[in-house]
Amino acid sequence: MLMEVKRSSRTKTAVSVIVPFVLLAVMIGYVFGPGSELISFGVVIPEISIEKVEFVDSEIIATVRNTGPIAVNIVMADINDRIYPAAIEPDKHLERFESAIVRIPFEWNEGEPYAVGLTIDDGTRFEKQVDVAAPSIQPTVEMITYFAIIGTYVGIIPVMIGLLWFPFISKLSRSKYKFFLALTVGLLLFLGISAAEEAIEISAENLSDVFNGVLLVATVSIVSFLALNYVGEKLMKRAGASKLAGPVAIALMIAIGIGLHNFGEGLAIGAAIVLGEAALGAFLIVGFALHNTTEGFAIAAPMARTKLMIGRLVAMGMIAGVPAIFGAWVGGFVYSPLSAVIFLAIGAGAIFQVIVTIMRWIQNEEGKLSNSSVLAGIAVGMIIMYVTSLLV
Amino acid sequence: MLSSGQKMIIVIAVVSLGFVGYLVLPAMDITAQEQPEVFVTHSGAVVQTTGDVLDPVYTIQEVEFDPQKYLREFDYGEVSQLEDGTILREFTIIAEDDKIMEIAPGIFYNVWTFNGQVPGPTIRATEGDLVRIHFTNNGSKEHTMHFHGNHPAEMDGIFEIVGSNGGQFTYEFIAGPVGVHPYHCHVMPVEEHIGHGLYGVFIVDPKDARQQADEMVMVLNGFDTDFDGENNLYAANTIPYYYQHHPIQINTNELIRVYVVNMVGLDPINNFHLHGTLYEYYPTGTDMVPSQFTDMTTFSQSERGILEFEYEYTGRYMFHAHLTEFSEKGWSGLFYVKDSSQPNMEVYAYGS
Repeated sequence: MLMEVKRSSRTKTAVSVIVPFVLLAVMIGYVFGPGSELISFGVVIPEISIEKVEFVDSEIIATVRNTGPIAVNIVMADINDRIYPAAIEPDKHLERFESAIVRIPFEWNEGEPYAVGLTIDDGTRFEKQVDVAAPSIQPTVEMITYFAIIGTYVGIIPVMIGLLWFPFISKLSRSKYKFFLALTVGLLLFLGISAAEEAIEISAENLSDVFNGVLLVATVSIVSFLALNYVGEKLMKRAGASKLAGPVAIALMIAIGIGLHNFGEGLAIGAAIVLGEAALGAFLIVGFALHNTTEGFAIAAPMARTKLMIGRLVAMGMIAGVPAIFGAWVGGFVYSPLSAVIFLAIGAGAIFQVIVTIMRWIQNEEGKLSNSSVLAGIAVGMIIMYVTSLLV
Repeated sequence: MLSSGQKMIIVIAVVSLGFVGYLVLPAMDITAQEQPEVFVTHSGAVVQTTGDVLDPVYTIQEVEFDPQKYLREFDYGEVSQLEDGTILREFTIIAEDDKIMEIAPGIFYNVWTFNGQVPGPTIRATEGDLVRIHFTNNGSKEHTMHFHGNHPAEMDGIFEIVGSNGGQFTYEFIAGPVGVHPYHCHVMPVEEHIGHGLYGVFIVDPKDARQQADEMVMVLNGFDTDFDGENNLYAANTIPYYYQHHPIQINTNELIRVYVVNMVGLDPINNFHLHGTLYEYYPTGTDMVPSQFTDMTTFSQSERGILEFEYEYTGRYMFHAHLTEFSEKGWSGLFYVKDSSQPNMEVYAYGS
């Protein structure tokens, strides 16, 4: 009897959920569906975006996406405004948001600029400029190793070096320690803003308007923030009353956040090398390496009040540093502006989550945040980051 | 058992990962064709693909406007004789501006047409004939016909605007001077009306006929299909690369006469280059004495002339714009020269 009541109330709930959807579908069908003349004003303008251009043996390969409001056919390809026979895979018909690969056989010259053009069925031509043609990097064993080494130099080693500040921090007085903890907040604040800024910049330059770059970054960052917050709280709860586990959990959160951030750095380096911008790649490597020692410091700081646990410290250094290698691989081998924006936005959300965690911890320890050493720490952290970032 | 909150989080995670994956991952080749397609590059390499080929090659079955037919088609009008012995040639020309034509494989463009085609029919008369053109404008915009040549001011197609949806006008004038002339709509903006295709060729033959020849008309034209002020496609007789893939067949040691009219807008000049032989060039066709013996002639907008040449050797010979931008955007073709003593030689097929 009780069971039946429960079941019927469930059915009622289900119906009450579905009915509004059905009504909405009916309304949309009536307003927009076939035969409707209510919304027939204006001209629909198709749009495609050439997201990536690769140069391989005797061929130029363009990745194209339909970023317009209607399906299109790609019908013609050109290089420097000269028509060439080409192939499009899997096929020339692109639904909204669908992408395809256009292969244009062409004997290109290294170091020269090229414009790749695609024409759709209504005769509109879309173009992507490539400043410098460079052979696209294939995932061979040598290249995979090369990127892994670069990732190690940029990510792992500097973070490990930064961890060496651990003994120094652990000997500090309470207020000085607070200062350094706040300093990591400053460092992270800077990194979070820079990740978000970078994501917005890439989306503005390389993504079609249809993706709403800024909102994409905001959405992904906030979702990432909430998700890590959820995971973090679970982590802290599991750590339980143990006095020791709290700081370790925070350090782990920091390491994860920094890891996501370093993934972004790896992406930038990999992409710069692939795009043939060797000078930029070198600057990025040196700059990020210097910059990332501060990240080791950020991980060490919350753990400095606990016993020295070398194993855990090293593990966290790896969590923070290794993603740089993955980033370099992704950036080097499967770069797409969309994935870069998404990864950077996840990183930004993660970093802001870490900031909140540290601030909450300081507040729990101290009872208030508007302490002069805390404020000074945040300010100095940001300044250090800004100055070291000038090297990049 | 998971709590409902946890379930919801899992659902959100799966949905968002799926969506991100769809956007980020490169296109999956799930619709790959069983039979790979093949195409030939400009340098002769053969490339295979599992997808679709993007190559402006028309087959004769697909083409809406047949450049091969247009090439040698002359409209002499309905002929009658006036009391004083003058030959009267009457033509009916209907303008339209709503036709969508596939001007290159897969590219659809709104052409404005005289008698449903771009270029319009080649109107041909002999010097001194009375030409009478019954013009109807079935378009949605105003149009006219403006002939280059001698005629009274009111027959010039400038101030006598012919209204849309059935407006009519009769142009009447004595054909002259001898030569090859364009006709086109002269309603402003003229660039737009010409750009969409409202033009054609008007040939005035001398009373003493020119030497017997294999005659053809080539209108050099271009289309700005995305309206950015630059032509996207160029051609001789509208369809890019058409004669490249369907060469014009001619015979050795036979006089070839080509009436060339440059109707390309937006670009100030165009040119014509012939391979394997040189031609006598008659600017505007008004003089019986050629001005040049050459293989390269430059045409400014609406400039035209007559080319006369013969081939000694058989084989394939290119003709194209020596402005390589134009030739690599469609304005290039081939003559296929057959041995006139062996008229049944096999027809050349592209790619063989």
